[in-house]
Amino acid sequence: MTGRNRTTVTRRTLLVGASSTLIASRAWAQQPPEVKVGLLVPISGLYARPGTVMREGAEMAVDHINAQGGIKALGGAKLKLVVLDSGDTTEKAKNAAQRMVAQESDLVAASGAYLSSFTLAVTEVTERANLPVLTLSYSDLITDRGFKYVFQTSATAGSQARQALPQIIKLAETASGKRPRSVAILTDNTAASIASAKSMREGLLAENQLQLIVDETFTPPLADATSLVQKIRSAKPDLLFFLPTVISDAKLLLEKMNEFGLGQGKVPTISFGIAIAEPDMLQTVSPELLQGVLTCVASWGAKGHEALIAELKSRYKEPWMTQNAISTYGDMWVIKDALEKAGSADRVAVAEALRNMDAGPSKYYPLGEIKFDDKGRRVGAGMTIVQWQSGVPVTVFPPELALAQPFWPKS
Amino acid sequence: MTVHQLRSLVPALVFTITYAAISLSVTNSYYQLVLTLVPVWAVFGLSWNLLSGYTGLISFGHAAFFGIGAYTTALGQIYFDLSPWLLIPVAAMLGGIAGLLIGFPTFRLQGHYFALAMLAYPLAILYVFEWLGFQEVTLPIKRDAPIAYMQFADPRLYTLLALAIMLATILLTRVIERSRFGMALLAIKQNEAAAEAAGINTLAWKLRAITLSGAIAAAIGAFYAQVLLVVTPQSVFGMLVSAQALTVAMFGGVGTVWGPVIGSVILIPLAEILHAEAGARFPGIQGVIFGFAIVCVILVAPEGLFWKLRDLLRKRLAPKAAAMVDGSQAPATTVMSPRPARQRAATGEVVLEVRNLSRSFGGLKAVQNVSFKLHKNEILGIIGPNGAGKTTLFNLLNGFLRPNQGEVLIDGRNMSGERPHTICEAGVGRTFQVMRPFLRMSILDSVVVGAYVRARTDEEARKLAADAVARVGLSAVADRVAGELSTKELRLMELARALAGQPRILLLDETLAGLGHGEADEVVAVIQQLARDGMTIAIIEHTMQAMVRLVDSFLVLDHGAVITEGEPEVVTRDGRVIEAYLGKKWMAHAPH
Repeated sequence: MTGRNRTTVTRRTLLVGASSTLIASRAWAQQPPEVKVGLLVPISGLYARPGTVMREGAEMAVDHINAQGGIKALGGAKLKLVVLDSGDTTEKAKNAAQRMVAQESDLVAASGAYLSSFTLAVTEVTERANLPVLTLSYSDLITDRGFKYVFQTSATAGSQARQALPQIIKLAETASGKRPRSVAILTDNTAASIASAKSMREGLLAENQLQLIVDETFTPPLADATSLVQKIRSAKPDLLFFLPTVISDAKLLLEKMNEFGLGQGKVPTISFGIAIAEPDMLQTVSPELLQGVLTCVASWGAKGHEALIAELKSRYKEPWMTQNAISTYGDMWVIKDALEKAGSADRVAVAEALRNMDAGPSKYYPLGEIKFDDKGRRVGAGMTIVQWQSGVPVTVFPPELALAQPFWPKS
Repeated sequence: MTVHQLRSLVPALVFTITYAAISLSVTNSYYQLVLTLVPVWAVFGLSWNLLSGYTGLISFGHAAFFGIGAYTTALGQIYFDLSPWLLIPVAAMLGGIAGLLIGFPTFRLQGHYFALAMLAYPLAILYVFEWLGFQEVTLPIKRDAPIAYMQFADPRLYTLLALAIMLATILLTRVIERSRFGMALLAIKQNEAAAEAAGINTLAWKLRAITLSGAIAAAIGAFYAQVLLVVTPQSVFGMLVSAQALTVAMFGGVGTVWGPVIGSVILIPLAEILHAEAGARFPGIQGVIFGFAIVCVILVAPEGLFWKLRDLLRKRLAPKAAAMVDGSQAPATTVMSPRPARQRAATGEVVLEVRNLSRSFGGLKAVQNVSFKLHKNEILGIIGPNGAGKTTLFNLLNGFLRPNQGEVLIDGRNMSGERPHTICEAGVGRTFQVMRPFLRMSILDSVVVGAYVRARTDEEARKLAADAVARVGLSAVADRVAGELSTKELRLMELARALAGQPRILLLDETLAGLGHGEADEVVAVIQQLARDGMTIAIIEHTMQAMVRLVDSFLVLDHGAVITEGEPEVVTRDGRVIEAYLGKKWMAHAPH
């Protein structure tokens, strides 16, 4: 042990000496080899925007890790991010994954691929190539296939709806002093929205003693939201679950709610997913209309991330830190920890390290631990509730991560 | 199978073997995946080509079949634990059934309407699968029996399998192309009405085509699911999937077996290379370059690369061929030299009788109360000013239109209201005022289409066609494509096509239109010869001059009604006829 330490010290001393005295090329030759980490996300096409944010998170993490001395177990080897474009179709994502495993054969791990359907296709390839992949995708299916090389850091879709409802009720109770009894659901008919609404209808609402009094499904894009809002006005629910995917639908409904005197939180509005909290929302919807709107997401920039949020703002001009940035940032650190534990730049060893990892409470994902169960799901994975406050969606729940106090309008 | 047919398979075999050899030497799994996808999309393009390339009915909705196939393999494995070796044939069957179900109502539409209706099917099915909860379906991994479940560790096996499917599809397309089936489809593409009139049951052939096309698309969709391992409604029913079939086929060449193959071999790797190389530097640029490349090729070669290359090749070989044709054309025209006028036919037995035939379009009475008899071996000229209802009368006779009232008796049997191909089978052939020849088909091939109504085998059809071509004096140029012919030759080719079905009655619609004096005489000579050989002919014409020498009697129509009928000499002096043609003020000049 001491002997090995001494050699390390000697080598580093030598290295410092070398880099200061010898010519640059010589110094480069003596540096420890780089360790390559893949990031397979959509950076072209329909989903380019979220994919780009994921890359920003990953780049920041890699810079931080390298600035802090790289992988110490590998003699201070630096991480190198290899970005691949998953494109905008499942086929392109699968082809990109094949390219990743065929041509970047020295990757030790990867993160990706935003949409659940992309992640499903990508992991079919990486599983067969023994390449560990971390993902923020929600679909339960990803970790239901008995795969050994995929690690899901977000709470799964099924688990998210289950976690969110009690939190919302708790939030309503603490903020308003009154327990909500009746709810309305307005949802579009896209896959993710339908999945969340379905679990609420089929038991979750009843478990939480909530009565469903309005239940409407629409096909995006909406042409007019008047009839939907009229139903809400006449039913006067305590809560409105609003699940849009298209930003224009969100705008139309929020504007109409305001027009009918239900806006700005008079009927507390809760969404699921990231759509309603994307920076793009502000391009079409005024901050006043968004004030007080809540959304439940798997992860968000939260307490403890203040420095990161500030860096993301100044470096990439992002207005705030979404799930895509913070989760991917976290992925790089988890890979780094696995590399330290594995002690070798070998993908199978890194996967083994991830499986056996027990790195205590999570820093970058909400709640739970840095530990994966048999299926590859993060143990105790929590979620966040985000509220629009003065033109910024801020984390308001859970309390230990909240950057601001939630407010609940008193009707 | 003849030696000629066997030889035509050689390029397909050589291509497949070369491709297989290349793919076996590739060890990089990513390149291998691209090599697998090339034949997959080629087969999908071929299935599209089988329907849309040959019939000209553009389908924007081939993803419907592709998706049905893909979901068959996925769901069959998940819920019934069946092997894809079994599921791919099952998928083909389901695709065929879907083709039949989709085709039956949709073939009532034509042109753009058909294309748009086809677009709706995959989009509708997409929502059904989303509603059923199949947003994301993954194929279960089979670690203990990978071969039985087509989950090969060696990706080269996927390529070989895809190649086998492609070779089978190419051979099938080849066989169809050269058979009565392919000829019928091409005839539908040129002119569906003419095809019906030539005795082709167009609906039946179109249904066969869409069934087969759907089956192939579904089979390759099923295989594709096996390669992709994940099936989502968007990835198999989406617009991009339908577009992929059109893109590879139109890029490579429509209506030929090589088109989709060429398109796929170039476009699929190009898209991947762009995605991997350009896309890594400038995300999104790959789509721009890809689109631009396609636009350029379509501008330069609107019919696809295959036809462009073939035309270039033909041009280089042209000088030799032209010299040959010049030498051989002279005797062809001497055959046409005027012959002594035929003895006018006596009034023999009645082969076609029309009784009180009427048809109106809204308030317009296009044909009213027309009755006449056509005697065996007679040439009847039907004349009248524009809009007199001559072509409408022909359409009623050969079944394009149903009469509102009246009867058409062929050999004493009432055939009014029958479909055109049935009437053709009964021995009525017809030509059209507007010629729409298939420009790339040779004269002989075009004529063969008309022969199938009588011929039982392909060989017999070619023999009948050759006879018909000889009868109109085109034997010397029988191998030339229609695009190189003069108007006269095209008219004669149309005539030959009608003759190939060995009709007893010929309906000729403005066969002399657009011909110069000398040319018209040649065509008239051919028609006269036909009459001498025992044919019964009804001919529509404007130009009186040629007609007077040709016909035995005239039927004069104006405003849909018969004004008069009788021998040419009598009819041309009839005041009502002159009035109908020239107006009242010319009556004074009319000889009495």
